[in-house]
Amino acid sequence: MAKWGMVIDLEKCVGCQACTVACGMENSRLPGEMWQDVIFFTEGTHPSAQLKWFPRPCQHCENPSCVAVCPTHATYKTEDGVVLVDWNRCIGCKYCMIACPYGVRFYTDEKPLVAPDMRKVLASKDDHSWNPPWKMPDAREDWKHGVGIQPHDVVSKCTFCYHRISKAPPGTPDLDPQDPKLREFTPACVVTCAPGARYFGDLSNPNSEVSRMIGDKRGVRLLDQLGNKPQVYYLTGDGGAVPSSRAINKKV
Amino acid sequence: MNFIYPKTVNEAISGALKMFGENHVTATIWKASVAVLAASLGFVFYMLFTEGHASFNTSSDGVNWGSAIATYVYFALISSGLTIIASLATVFGFKQFYPVAKRCIWLAIVTLIAGFAVLALELGHPFRMLWAVPSGMQIYSPMFWMGVFYVIDLGLLIVKFYLMWKEDWDSPFSHFIGIAGFIAVVLASGMLGLLFGSMAMRPMWFGSATSVFFILSGVLSGAAAIVFSVYLAYGFDTKNMPEQLRSLALSDQLPKVFATLIGIVLVFLLTRIWVGLWSNQDGMEGFVALLNTPWFHLEVWVCLALPFLMMLSPSMQLAPKWQVTASILVLAGMFIERLQFIVAGQNVPMFKGTWMNSVTPYTPSLTESALVVVGISTALALYALGERLSNLSAAPKESIEAAGQLARG
Repeated sequence: MAKWGMVIDLEKCVGCQACTVACGMENSRLPGEMWQDVIFFTEGTHPSAQLKWFPRPCQHCENPSCVAVCPTHATYKTEDGVVLVDWNRCIGCKYCMIACPYGVRFYTDEKPLVAPDMRKVLASKDDHSWNPPWKMPDAREDWKHGVGIQPHDVVSKCTFCYHRISKAPPGTPDLDPQDPKLREFTPACVVTCAPGARYFGDLSNPNSEVSRMIGDKRGVRLLDQLGNKPQVYYLTGDGGAVPSSRAINKKV
Repeated sequence: MNFIYPKTVNEAISGALKMFGENHVTATIWKASVAVLAASLGFVFYMLFTEGHASFNTSSDGVNWGSAIATYVYFALISSGLTIIASLATVFGFKQFYPVAKRCIWLAIVTLIAGFAVLALELGHPFRMLWAVPSGMQIYSPMFWMGVFYVIDLGLLIVKFYLMWKEDWDSPFSHFIGIAGFIAVVLASGMLGLLFGSMAMRPMWFGSATSVFFILSGVLSGAAAIVFSVYLAYGFDTKNMPEQLRSLALSDQLPKVFATLIGIVLVFLLTRIWVGLWSNQDGMEGFVALLNTPWFHLEVWVCLALPFLMMLSPSMQLAPKWQVTASILVLAGMFIERLQFIVAGQNVPMFKGTWMNSVTPYTPSLTESALVVVGISTALALYALGERLSNLSAAPKESIEAAGQLARG
């Protein structure tokens, strides 16, 4: 069984946010509620201040604290290493959001981040939280795996495009979007990444491209000291950086 | 108050309805709290049906758990504290505390129900919880165990109250229920602390001390609740109290216990602040923000340090008005504590670039504030109901002797 993981080369990432848009379209995200966010921040002060950016999908941890805290087992880890939410079981207690160190989980019913509130403009007449004009075919929607437009009052998150990767031929070491045979099984953010900064493959296969890159180019993980062991690795090279410290300075 | 207490369910229902036409302290609390409950619950339901949980000011980007969770924790820990205080008489043999034991158990039931009610209105799918938690069996989740222990606790409290209502104080079964209830409530409140204390990614909560703090601060809020309730029931006048209760209220044991508990909680709070300010560990910045809020100082100095001094002072500790003032201050302080603890633990961003470049602001919305009112009015209404329908000051005969000895010193 594969253990799916992602490698993001921060030296190649240009911060264009095409991944954010592709994910939003693929997974019918509410405007502002980005499963695949690119976060912008600054390092240093004038005149040597730098604008930095950092793409942040769900890290699909090896030791996911969100799975351990979920009182109903709505959040679970699949055999192929993906952390998912079963929307039929989620009670909306938000404990997983508390326990996630990466801030990649979203509660459906909150004040809208972008006006007007699209849940009201494109209101749903059934159990879905809204009814966008762009959405995946109904046959692909899968609430047990947190795929599609979610119902009200549940927590949602990046699924590594589970509706795509779960259909990949068994034993595939890497889901390379350049390969026409594998393209439809590759996560939308990886397919769309213009500079080719994203790689997706089987971390349990030492011969996969992702495993080689992590070994050869010193892949690092976000907040590794917490022990969640993300399955998303970042290659920093000379120019990239994984934010490790919190944003504010401590001043008494 | 000397009521004629109902003996059947029909009498109890008619007694509750009749209270709307009666004129005494308990009836006033009943009428006012039912009216406030109806209004606040109506508003919360209206907002939940029209806006849903979007009417809350909580957000995925920062504070996920807001004042509703703080209110639940507040009431759950008052309930746990009350149960532990009742155990002084029912488990540990301090018979002088029997005059408040039945009242403690009833208040523990009603505060736990108030907490659960607020929690149910905060949850996305409270009814789904009823089947999804038992069928999920996620034994690694502190929330799972907290739920298990609090449900057991509530069940045992109801059985214990029934036994006390039947005046079964000393049978082996009654003892067993008391001991089991004590164990369940320590596990429940301790597990509620571990729910926060297990979170290594939230350094302001992290550590087993959180669990111990929850148990002990729960006992303090329980003590404040029982002192306030005893005086409230008798119109803040010790002359109206039955003999054994008056002996307990006027002995120096109560203020001594009260002062000790406040002292313990102050030590916990101030050592926690010390570690938070001293440590350079990433994520402790929230303690600085905490220190800069007026609420923190109101809690520590006015709501805890001041009652601590009042209950130590020989000239003030025995005066009912200062005991009542201390209990009200402590109850208010503990609410501030629960809210600050929960919010401050979340509002330091996890890492640079969570879109938040400073401590995330959070103020409860109108709906969330109404939910706090729902909790308080539920507890008060059910308390008044218990006061009217059952003699909450009932105690076994031997405790009257113990209380008499206490009064004689």
